[in-house]
Amino acid sequence: MDEKQIALENIKKTVTGNPVVLYMKGTPQFPQCGFSGRAAQVLKACGVTDYVAVNVLEDQGAYDYLKFYADFPTFPQCYIRGELIGGSDIMLAMYEQGELQGLVQQATAAR
Amino acid sequence: MKVTPENVRDFILQGLACEHIHVDGDGRHFAAVIVSSEFEGKGMLQRHKQVYQALGDRMEKIHALSMQTLTPAQWADNH
Repeated sequence: MDEKQIALENIKKTVTGNPVVLYMKGTPQFPQCGFSGRAAQVLKACGVTDYVAVNVLEDQGAYDYLKFYADFPTFPQCYIRGELIGGSDIMLAMYEQGELQGLVQQATAAR
Repeated sequence: MKVTPENVRDFILQGLACEHIHVDGDGRHFAAVIVSSEFEGKGMLQRHKQVYQALGDRMEKIHALSMQTLTPAQWADNH
């Protein structure tokens, strides 16, 4: 397997093995980008605290190849049960429409 | 070379037919309102992907793009 295949395999394991995953720049406590910070805030507002946050600044494989996994070129990216939900714009819009709360709560409760 | 909001608008228009488009930005962070009938019947994720596809490799010159993606009917409702 080459570097890209290994990275994509790792991403697949992470997003399918955890109910809620956020790929972001920095950490929820110390985000390194405004959009990543906003995404973490949205998850916090949804009442989810035990999601997996992957800091792409410390994960070269995810940094280089996440864009190919779900054909989405930017960070942050939020996955629920292995499905890409979107970036911070989509997360915020779904939160404001009251959709995201139920999705993440169902996903974390069903574990 | 610094990317301007006009550049971003033109990049998107080259790949996506838009009824209306407005882009603001500081050279790194951009915010776009994009109205296209190509969004009909598509969810938000699919719409964002359509815009990213229109931008293609040029997305690498843009640090961050925040977007509202609306159909002409949704745009009319907002105005």
